[in-house]
Amino acid sequence: MELKFNDLTKQFGSLTAVDHLSLTMSKGVYGLLGVNGAGKTTLMRIICTLLKPTGGTITCNGQDIFTMDAEYRKLLGYLPQDFGFYPEFTVGDYLSYIASIKGIRPAVVKKRSRELLEQVGLSKSEHQKMKKLSGGMKRRVGIVQAMLNNPRILILDEPTAGLDPSERLRFRNLISQLSADRLVLLSTHIVSDIEYIANEIWLMKEGQLVQKGTCGEIIRTMPEKVWCCVVDKSMAEAFTAKYGVVNMKSEAQGVELRMISAGKPTENAVCVEPSLEDVFLYYFGEKAGENNASV
Amino acid sequence: MYSCIILVKRQVKIMLRYEIKKVFTKPLNKAVLLILALALAAITFFAAASVEYVDAEGQSSCGIAAARRLREEKNGWKGDVTEQTLLKALRENIRINDSEEYLSKDFQENNKAYSKKQGFSDIRNMINLAFGGFQEYDYYKIDSVKETEVRKFYENRIHNLKEWLYSGEAAGLFTDEKKDFLIRQYESLETPFYYEYADGWKALLEYATPLIALLILITGFLVSGIFSDEFQFNADAVYFSSKLGRNKGVISKIEAGFLIISVVYWTVMLLYSLILFFILGADGADCAIQTGMAGWKSFYNITYFQEYLLTVFGGYLGSLFILTLSMLASAKLRSALLAVTIPFILLFLPSFFNGILPLLNLLGLLPDRLIRISEAISYFNLYQIGGTVVGAIPILFTLYLILYCLLLPVLYRTYRKAEIR
Repeated sequence: MELKFNDLTKQFGSLTAVDHLSLTMSKGVYGLLGVNGAGKTTLMRIICTLLKPTGGTITCNGQDIFTMDAEYRKLLGYLPQDFGFYPEFTVGDYLSYIASIKGIRPAVVKKRSRELLEQVGLSKSEHQKMKKLSGGMKRRVGIVQAMLNNPRILILDEPTAGLDPSERLRFRNLISQLSADRLVLLSTHIVSDIEYIANEIWLMKEGQLVQKGTCGEIIRTMPEKVWCCVVDKSMAEAFTAKYGVVNMKSEAQGVELRMISAGKPTENAVCVEPSLEDVFLYYFGEKAGENNASV
Repeated sequence: MYSCIILVKRQVKIMLRYEIKKVFTKPLNKAVLLILALALAAITFFAAASVEYVDAEGQSSCGIAAARRLREEKNGWKGDVTEQTLLKALRENIRINDSEEYLSKDFQENNKAYSKKQGFSDIRNMINLAFGGFQEYDYYKIDSVKETEVRKFYENRIHNLKEWLYSGEAAGLFTDEKKDFLIRQYESLETPFYYEYADGWKALLEYATPLIALLILITGFLVSGIFSDEFQFNADAVYFSSKLGRNKGVISKIEAGFLIISVVYWTVMLLYSLILFFILGADGADCAIQTGMAGWKSFYNITYFQEYLLTVFGGYLGSLFILTLSMLASAKLRSALLAVTIPFILLFLPSFFNGILPLLNLLGLLPDRLIRISEAISYFNLYQIGGTVVGAIPILFTLYLILYCLLLPVLYRTYRKAEIR
């Protein structure tokens, strides 16, 4: 399975959401990181044939995905960021309906649904109405619907958005399990999710990829160093203005800062191992702290 | 290959089942169905109550027993409306006019006199129309009609039309071809008329128009969300990224709309017709509509049963067209609220332009006419194609059947190509 973007472009009026992307994806988990408005969702929607590109093509094993039409969508599983459903349907009804529009043989739908519901811990909720489910449960139903057709290409747009830490951990493990033998493209605002499960990470900014590679490779691309130091509370603001501060923690003797700088910012600063969060802040600056791209 | 076709058919069936389930599980739509049931009950009640019987004591009543008595009275005059029948009606009218009850100043006594006239009230009305002017109706005209004039009854109907067509009143309204067409239609009406009690049909047809209009408005709520709900529930991304979401899924939505419109329409119309026939009787199906006041001037030479067929099938075609247009708006505008306004606009807007003469021909071809077949039948909306003149009804049926068939692929393509931003 190979998905290839050839000079892919999507414009909305004067705004270029996806800017001449040329990439190749094969089996594995791809983590897509970027701030709000970077073009992640647009890219995912083009991959899911929900939007037509303004320029360029996407091919699946050499064939244009829009020409393949239903044959391509047969391979696809998609969990959108704003996952919607029919509130009056039970979980079972919802999955049976989605199975029918995915063209799954009616004989295997029940078995497949039950297996997946069990896998996500929702086997007792089959007869519950969708509108009665909690946020986490809804997202789990979302991943079940995406997996119903055993897709070769799985697109997950912010799957952990709005989940509490334990749900997030559970989801992360689930995605790891599901990623075997398929191509998974995952976008999330939680950097650590991608850090743990992605084989390749893409950093996207203003419709373009600014970096791509494994977690280690991405970290190594950062030309500056990460420093830790404790400063007086009155100095903290000045450091924040001058350096990219990744973390700030109040201590009895002052404020412990984690920051990015080419040179040693203070005498007592200690150089530490950079993480993906540091890299994210380095590339996306202040915007990285906004709701869609928090570290 | 064969098993593949069966599999796809089964999948489409499942999709269709769930599309229908989506509609009927919505709380708003459950309330809408309840309103429809109440509206059906109310309109059926008013239609049944519109047929009144006045007994020998001058008391009015309605219902099954009243309709049965009225039927007995009217069927005493059953048969061809010949010169003899008309003379009999004329003499009976004079006899009752000379009675104490009729001459009395007491309202109740007058009602007693009317109770004796109600058996031939329809024939009385026909005499009033035949011997009055084309655009007039004089309730007491029969009182001045002489026995020697009665033989001109059928002739007068045509004569009145000709007189009106060539008078200043109708000047500029019709071309010579249209005038000839109307006269030919009048002349080709089979005479003498066959007459029997037909009040069941008359009441049914009179109240069918508001019922069908209400049916369309209410069904509008049911079908307006079929396409737009995917967007409103944010279920669009999953739907359109699924294998069949842009082909068979769209077909199943169109089928669901068609089925809901059809099943709701025919269930309501069947219940309405059966209840009214049970209460008022179905006699008079073969009577020409010209035997009733509403159809006297019509140039459509049809029976009550044929008018009923035109009404129910016209209503059905109108429902299909208007509601499919509403579904198209739902697919295009992605809003059930905007889609639900389409039937309101199409049904009520034309009424505001009714008095504008230059628009008469155009208004006669708007889809609301399919819902008001009884009106369309009584109006002189004529259209000339080359040398051929046709009435509005054949054009309405042909035009909207074609437009409905054209709407389906447009609806399919519109939804299939939807993009999710």
